[in-house]
Amino acid sequence: MDAKDILGLPKNSFPPLEKKSRPPKESQRKPDGISREVYALTGGLPPLMPAIEASQLKKRPPSHEKITWQWLPFTSSARKDNLQLYHWVRVVNGVPPTGDYSFAKYNKSVDVIKYTDEEYDKYLTDPMWSKEETDQLFDLCERFDLRFVVIADRFPSSRTVEELKDRYYSVSRAILIARAPSSGDVAAHPLVKEPYNVSQEMERKRALSMVLSQTRQQERRDEEVLIEAKRIAELRIPPKVVEVSQLAASNAGAEVTERSAPGETVSPSNVQPPPTGIPSTLIDNASTLATLRMLRVYLRTYALEQMVQAANASAGLRTIKRVEQTLQDLGVNLKPRVPTKAVCAEHLELRKEILTWLNLQKQVQYKEAEGSSFRDGSYGETPLTPKDRTFIPDSMNFGVERVSKKDQKRKAPGAPSSSAHKRPRKLKASDL
Amino acid sequence: MTNSSSSKKHGQDQPELSGPTPKSQRTKMGKSEDNEKKNLGKKLKDVEISVPIVYGNIAFWLGKKASEYQSHKWTVYVRGATNEDLGTIVKRAVFQLHSSFNNPTRVVESPPFELSEAGWGEFEVAITLYFHSDVCDKPLNLYHHLKLYPEDENSSMSTKKPVVVEFYDEIVFPDPSEAFLARMQSNPAVNLPRLPAGHTLPPPIPVEDASKRRKGDTKDHSLSQWFTNFSEADELLQLAAARQQVQAHIAKLRRQINLIDGQHQQLKSSSDQ
Repeated sequence: MDAKDILGLPKNSFPPLEKKSRPPKESQRKPDGISREVYALTGGLPPLMPAIEASQLKKRPPSHEKITWQWLPFTSSARKDNLQLYHWVRVVNGVPPTGDYSFAKYNKSVDVIKYTDEEYDKYLTDPMWSKEETDQLFDLCERFDLRFVVIADRFPSSRTVEELKDRYYSVSRAILIARAPSSGDVAAHPLVKEPYNVSQEMERKRALSMVLSQTRQQERRDEEVLIEAKRIAELRIPPKVVEVSQLAASNAGAEVTERSAPGETVSPSNVQPPPTGIPSTLIDNASTLATLRMLRVYLRTYALEQMVQAANASAGLRTIKRVEQTLQDLGVNLKPRVPTKAVCAEHLELRKEILTWLNLQKQVQYKEAEGSSFRDGSYGETPLTPKDRTFIPDSMNFGVERVSKKDQKRKAPGAPSSSAHKRPRKLKASDL
Repeated sequence: MTNSSSSKKHGQDQPELSGPTPKSQRTKMGKSEDNEKKNLGKKLKDVEISVPIVYGNIAFWLGKKASEYQSHKWTVYVRGATNEDLGTIVKRAVFQLHSSFNNPTRVVESPPFELSEAGWGEFEVAITLYFHSDVCDKPLNLYHHLKLYPEDENSSMSTKKPVVVEFYDEIVFPDPSEAFLARMQSNPAVNLPRLPAGHTLPPPIPVEDASKRRKGDTKDHSLSQWFTNFSEADELLQLAAARQQVQAHIAKLRRQINLIDGQHQQLKSSSDQ
């Protein structure tokens, strides 16, 4: 039984269509290796993945190719000593492979510049280096393929790797430039284009060795400072939520704190409470007002909506929802019933204060979480009672999650009705 | 504006204008009127005139005997929040009804700006307010969802008690023209701005016939007993209480943060030793 049976349709309701699709199907023969029954289950559908036919995989090499493996001698162009070595090699139809040893191409050697005595006298004299030393250096360079660490190890007089490198590259560069018919011809050569910088290289190695030779204690101290700096930087983020556009002043303040963070003297108390967002709000309102003025006539509620939107612009969706939930919890209309100018202004102020409140809650939570990491278990007793500590998140949870919207709507403004509200209410009452 | 009143006004304000011959006076007066017109067209920056309005509908159920399609008689309206006459500001109101009504676009040319109809269904009424030329040349759209059936399912429909859904709002005219502001000087329907210091307005234009003006208000409206009272004071009180609560929370959290900071510092200094 299939869908057609259920619907009472004739089995072959689309004969022309089937006729059309049949011929290509015929040409597509059942692949080997699959039983007819299994293939029938696929309904002749093309496989989901392109597959190489099994017969292809099992294809035997053409019968006229007779392959044998033989132990044969070979020579390598990479060797100069004509050493005779043997290896197993694939022989087709009794003809051994000709040509160079296949790995000979990897025998690369550095093209170390050779200079003549005249050239040395003309271009390469250096008060720090004698000709003998330079010759030695270039010999070693060729011998050890510019592995300067090895060269420095073998070098008779004590020279640093940097000194050796500097001498080698400067000589090479000087010869290159001297031999070139014009300076433009070698300008693109890496040796000329990017000259070796000794002082930078020494500084780099010094810094590197400093980092690598740090003690674990120093490392830990650095880590602490970084954590502190990060925390301070994060503390600066919540104010951004309140302040729609960060003011230059508070920005500068954040920078100063961050810059001073690596220092030893930074302590949490250095972090000032975020500046109030009044000026930026004013600025923002001004732009909203300017837009409204263009309308020449508008409704007060529309203006309020625009200002609320502007104030919410930098807050996340969750924060906005929490603000509105808090408004409801406070028994305030989400949209004022009598939106006079004064009411709208108060409403906006209230929203702003709620944002500040929520941000402070976040800060307290953060600081407490951090405080417990500070304590490291050795400071079990703190002036904060557990109840005090859990109060903030709890009340928010009650507000956001446990009280359903329906309850909120039905409830008369300000009247605590649901049992879920009792605990935070009680606490609030005692707090005030 | 009648000729006599305006000449009288000029006579008071600018006594030097009362020339020897009536002819010269008329020509001079014409000029000064032109000047006045220019002045009055001037926009006043950073002040706004707002007009508190209430818009909504009142719907009466016509009882069980009423026909299926005319089960309710309803009135949709825009009125002054204190039932003052809006006719001095609004020139015309256009109510856009559901397309199933005959002539769904209804124009009301004079106050009170209201429209009564009978029907069975709720729909959104678009109300477009056009203003007098000195007020604003742009119209304002209001949208009201017509409500015929009581929100609360528990309360049964009654023919005595109508369903009333009203919204308070304010029409705001930013940067109004001087002419408009002058004309609104003694109009109770509007909230006037406090003028910038040193700014004087042209003298108020005398209100026309008082009895004529009264026609536009909705104080003696037949439905006025159902009108909602919108109290700004209640709303402000509610907001003030809420703000106080939030501010208390903020203060408490600030103290808590200071306390934690103090502890951290203590811990820090003790761990440094």
